[in-house]
Amino acid sequence: MRPIRPIAVLMLLLLQASVLAAQDRRLGERLDPGTAAAVQRLVDSAHATGLPTEPLVQKALEGKTMGASAERIQEAVGALLDRLVHARDALGPDAGQAELTAGASALRAGLAPASLRQLHALRTGSSLAVPISVLTDLVVQGLPPDEATREVLDLARNGRSDDEFVALRRRMEERLRTTDSGAPP
Amino acid sequence: MSDSDAALVARTLGGDLEAFAALMARYRDSFGLYAFHMLGNREDAQEAMQDSFVRAFGALGKCRDPERFGAWLFRIVVNRCRTMRRRSHRGRNFGWPLPRDVPARGDAADGLEWREEINRALARLRPHYREAFLLRYVRGLEYDEMAHVTGANEPALRMRVKRALDHLRELLRDVHDT
Amino acid sequence: MSMTPDTGLERDDDLLHRVVTELRRPVALDPALDTRVLDVIRSGGQRRPGRSMPLAGAALAAGVLLALLVGKAGAPAGTREVRLRLSAPSSSYVSVVGDFNDWNPAGTPLRPTGNPGVWTVELRLKPGRYHYAFLLDGRRWIRDPAEPPNAESDFGTPTSVLTVS
Repeated sequence: MRPIRPIAVLMLLLLQASVLAAQDRRLGERLDPGTAAAVQRLVDSAHATGLPTEPLVQKALEGKTMGASAERIQEAVGALLDRLVHARDALGPDAGQAELTAGASALRAGLAPASLRQLHALRTGSSLAVPISVLTDLVVQGLPPDEATREVLDLARNGRSDDEFVALRRRMEERLRTTDSGAPP
Repeated sequence: MSDSDAALVARTLGGDLEAFAALMARYRDSFGLYAFHMLGNREDAQEAMQDSFVRAFGALGKCRDPERFGAWLFRIVVNRCRTMRRRSHRGRNFGWPLPRDVPARGDAADGLEWREEINRALARLRPHYREAFLLRYVRGLEYDEMAHVTGANEPALRMRVKRALDHLRELLRDVHDT
Repeated sequence: MSMTPDTGLERDDDLLHRVVTELRRPVALDPALDTRVLDVIRSGGQRRPGRSMPLAGAALAAGVLLALLVGKAGAPAGTREVRLRLSAPSSSYVSVVGDFNDWNPAGTPLRPTGNPGVWTVELRLKPGRYHYAFLLDGRRWIRDPAEPPNAESDFGTPTSVLTVS
């Protein structure tokens, strides 16, 4: 058995290495060492579970540029990681990075995971990133979530292109603007 | 006697920004007029001209025939106008604009009205018809020059000009007859 | 296919004559336009255009030539050009900062347009969802009023969302 042990150790080391994301140079350059290490651990967790890591790095860099405290940066990156996990629960294991990022935004905007699941069920085969983004933007701008979900699902049901989802957003924005200004719709 | 374009280009390439300013002064108004009619308002025309000058400065070393700097610059202006017009779908700077900045110089009301009708009709032309019409009649280019500027072939350009004229006649007939 | 010769269209055409006369009337552009161009050139860090400049070498700072490059051989595949504009009349320096430039405050300056107080920049972005904000004079943050607000603005500074399809 003796010859096996070093191999097992080596494999364990390789396995460990494979689940760690590469040290992100940007974190080391822009954040203090403690914050960089804490964020890197979150990035490693995301990487190990197949979640996108770039949004986490960007969130940390955003916090640094905005002058946020180390604690606030770690908290924001951690919360984003949680949302990415929940987004994948709703969108399925095959969801791409753009879809998960958009899904995380949707959840933050207050949309129910059920809305994401409905979209996922309707639009198999093409990316959901733009439909989810449009849904999120509409809700953030004041359209009731139920109505926004209904509008987006209608398009998804008919297999519409991403550009048509963006066009829907512009139409609805215009409607929201005229409603806000008291003008007739 | 004023410097030739080639002399001003050479001086600019030698680092003399005043020479480039002289080139801008030479072409700003006439090319700006084209941009104004192509884009429909003064703000966008100014933006197109500014972008064109900056780009021209950056690429001046690629102007193979400095004596024909004007023609070379005009191609940049035409392309810039096309790009700006295409961006209108993002809804930022264009509806399709009716000109907002038609210059008034103390004309009688009927003159203003006629001018507005012309601009409104021009705005309703398809962009490549409008482009061909402006190049032919406002810039006064020959068809081979238009082909050089636009990249389109001469028969296509003749067709565009003809269609532009037909549409303008149709749009302006009633106003003109009165 | 035969077509009426142009000379036939042009001769004795009173309508055309009136239209062209009108359209050839001068339009007064902002006299400060030339000065602004020279300011952009001076601030671009590139004073002398070389005789045989490659495109990359010709690039001015402030992303001025970014749009010139797009659509040509060097343009990144699968990207789209996006133009951002902002009215900031009292600012002397405006940059855009976001997910696309690692939140680098100096990474992407805007340039003044022909319309006084209005700034612009073109970006080449892959399809996706981007968070960003404008930074005025290196001090004041403002989100892009032309795009939806970002629900994930976690640091007390409003940001916007740009969706590139």
